[in-house]
Amino acid sequence: MEIPIEESQHKWGMVIDQDLCTGCQACVTACAMENNIPFGGESDAEYGRSMQWIQVQRFWEGSYPDVRMTPFQPILCQQCGHAPCEPVCPVYASVHSRTEQINLQVYNRCVGTRYCANNCPYQMRVFNWRDYQRPDPLPNQLNPSVTVRRRGIMEKCTFCVQRIKHAEDQAKSENRLLADGEVQTACAQVCPSNAIIFGRLDDPESRVSILARNGRALQMLDYLGTLPSVTYLKGA
Amino acid sequence: MAVTAGTLQHAQVEEHEDPRESLMYDPKPRGEMNGMVMESMQTTSWKFWVVAILLSIVVVVCLFGAWGYLIANGLGVAGVNRPSYWGIFLVNTVFWVGISHAGTFVSALLRVFKAEFRRPFTRAAELMTTFGLIQAGLCIFMHMGRVWLSYWLIPYPNERGLWPNFHSPLAWDFLAITTYILASTMYLFLPLIPDLAMARDRSTGWRKVFFRILALGFRGTEGEWTHLRIAMGIFAFAILPVMFSVHTIVSWDFAVATRPGWSSTIFGPYFVVGALQSGIAAVAMVVIIIRSSMKHMKYFIRPEHLDALGKLMLVVSMAWAYFFFNDYMVQWYGGDKFTHYLMHFQEKGPLGWMWFALLIFNVVIPWLFLWNRKVRRNPALLFTIGLIINIGMWFERYLIIPVGLTINRMPFSWRLYKPGIEVVLGIGTLAFFILLYMIATRLIPIVPVWEIQEGQMAHSLRKVGKATVKSVSELE
Amino acid sequence: MSETKTLLALFEDIDPAVAAIDHLREMGISNEQINVISGIPLTERMLGRPRQWSNVPRLAAGGAVAGFLIGAFLAFITPMLYPIQVGGQALIPGPPTVVVLFEMTMLGMLVSTFIGVFLDSTFPSYRPKEYVSEISDGKIAVLFNCPADNEKAFVNALTDLKARSIVPAEVQKL
Repeated sequence: MEIPIEESQHKWGMVIDQDLCTGCQACVTACAMENNIPFGGESDAEYGRSMQWIQVQRFWEGSYPDVRMTPFQPILCQQCGHAPCEPVCPVYASVHSRTEQINLQVYNRCVGTRYCANNCPYQMRVFNWRDYQRPDPLPNQLNPSVTVRRRGIMEKCTFCVQRIKHAEDQAKSENRLLADGEVQTACAQVCPSNAIIFGRLDDPESRVSILARNGRALQMLDYLGTLPSVTYLKGA
Repeated sequence: MAVTAGTLQHAQVEEHEDPRESLMYDPKPRGEMNGMVMESMQTTSWKFWVVAILLSIVVVVCLFGAWGYLIANGLGVAGVNRPSYWGIFLVNTVFWVGISHAGTFVSALLRVFKAEFRRPFTRAAELMTTFGLIQAGLCIFMHMGRVWLSYWLIPYPNERGLWPNFHSPLAWDFLAITTYILASTMYLFLPLIPDLAMARDRSTGWRKVFFRILALGFRGTEGEWTHLRIAMGIFAFAILPVMFSVHTIVSWDFAVATRPGWSSTIFGPYFVVGALQSGIAAVAMVVIIIRSSMKHMKYFIRPEHLDALGKLMLVVSMAWAYFFFNDYMVQWYGGDKFTHYLMHFQEKGPLGWMWFALLIFNVVIPWLFLWNRKVRRNPALLFTIGLIINIGMWFERYLIIPVGLTINRMPFSWRLYKPGIEVVLGIGTLAFFILLYMIATRLIPIVPVWEIQEGQMAHSLRKVGKATVKSVSELE
Repeated sequence: MSETKTLLALFEDIDPAVAAIDHLREMGISNEQINVISGIPLTERMLGRPRQWSNVPRLAAGGAVAGFLIGAFLAFITPMLYPIQVGGQALIPGPPTVVVLFEMTMLGMLVSTFIGVFLDSTFPSYRPKEYVSEISDGKIAVLFNCPADNEKAFVNALTDLKARSIVPAEVQKL
């Protein structure tokens, strides 16, 4: 039986191959462009207020002069199946979506208690500490599909849910199913080494599902029981 | 606590100790006591006005002015960042809720245990609860990103189609603190009614109108006293579980989180005992200030009361040390590596001095000095120790909240927390608390005279063999 | 029907007041005609008076039930009105429900106790009443209705029992 696209429950997920990641931060830039993320400024970013929904984290091991880089770690909201950020929001601004199986941040409901950010074990929630300025002509670059957030609101990676919804609408109006690879998040679309793969985890033949079963696959902080939707490949 | 109260009640009178040193054995006619209380309420020196005006300026600038600036510019002007999303605002909230436990402890727990030494300062302590909770509420509102929408936490039918999320400890906080502030204020008001009636009978002018309205037409008939006594009895017992639940729920804001150092099952009782510690120390401080700055208060508040408060401070400090060690030992022994990173950071990081100061202020100093009767009975020394304990408890909450948040499971996010406008706002709430309290001491009788007369009626000296012993009867 | 007069006798201490009440009963005044007003609570056992009934405990219990029901509505009904999945927890979570029920029960009980005092004592009431300000200074007032023609006998009897003053009770604005 055909399930109409609106009521279908897909489980969207992502695979990030740390062995392919070059640390170029094109994903960070593309995400900022796609999702109307403001520029926080250098001093704010230094103080831990960087406005980045996806961050390329860099570490090193060893001590001088034998210092070695470890694989770059692009980290974003893991869209947990049992998200710790959800039950603690007093106004239901952080909720679980049944249709996309991701964690939704409802901007117009957020009152800014920041409990969700405290409870996120991955620390990938971003708070609007100020009303950020966009000097001309930057407002021309804004994506009309995405809300522009004011001060006091929490935001985070949404797996480009606006693109998911758009593709689903498109497929429904054309009376067909979504093809694997048709929906691309901004970061996956722009990555030059194809380190980020996005797709449906509920389809066992999709590229992301096959890669998630790879021998190098691991999930961050999985011992916490958060059931993240992002799988990392590391250790070639 | 019951053992302490019992020991105080039936102490033998020493050969050299004059029982009239004790308030309950030094009765004065009620009319005279009424006059003393009215006079202390109506007497204000120029010093009072200078302090009140200075505090008002601080409140206007540091509380309302700075808060307006914060609302207009966003949380960026505060020091909160990733990963310390909660900073001094929450430290102050927990601090003020802790102070507010003082009132309930004195007027409810001591009443239930029939500790007679509570009589002169139950109202002074209850005022601290109401005003402390007001400051806690202000601090909660200050830390919100969109405070103008904070009414969304009130559970009422609305057109938004959503109720508050009762999975969230913040929603429980809302219910618990609302219950506590209402219960506390009602419990402050009920025993106040007979004293308002007394003030009404002895006032003229605008004061008489004010007291007449607030006294509700109370006369003291048998029916009125019966209803009042039954209600006070219900309140005294029922507000105790509320008191325990409020700070436990506040502790669950932290304990249910996934952060290392926060996810500790001991937080419930640990925070309650911490609240009692800072609360009782604060009661001692306030009572000493009232005694020294208001007329006639040296009759009502005597070294015996300071002595009793000092003993309580010592006992609660021991209980706090027990819970602190419980938390520490379990994390040290069986904690995962991030918990150990956090403990290392708390003790040896840039704020390690605060960790040591915490132990010295909360444990070493009370244990070294409060054994000594002379120290407990000395107002200046007891005030200093009370202040030191409160500073220590503030440090404890600072170490749990912003310092605890600094170390988490994602080392790339570790950043030091540097307070911003929170400091100014914290000073504003302190000034507001003191100002409200000062106004209250001049608007309502600060000492529950009817309870003192009732207590004096119940206390007598009797001879057992050759000894003259103090005796307390149960008049209820 | 003979006229009754309301007299107010003021006493310094509890023993003379109790003796006076006993004497009044001997002289034929019933318990309902006597009212004792004092500056500290004196139990009915001390005064030798009939038991005072109060609705406050029943109102407290009723308030607790009302609070529990409101808590039950918040905890059980509101999640079902607009179901939202959060954190993999059940729609109606166990321990948070206990917290909500407890707090609302206590709130209901305490608010209704407080209101109960107001209702039972008919507070606030600003109409003029029989009262003298010496009562809040610790004196005990015995307010009673006696037949008007026998007033002198009562006055003499109570003066003998060491009443500080016996005056016709004046209804005054408090």
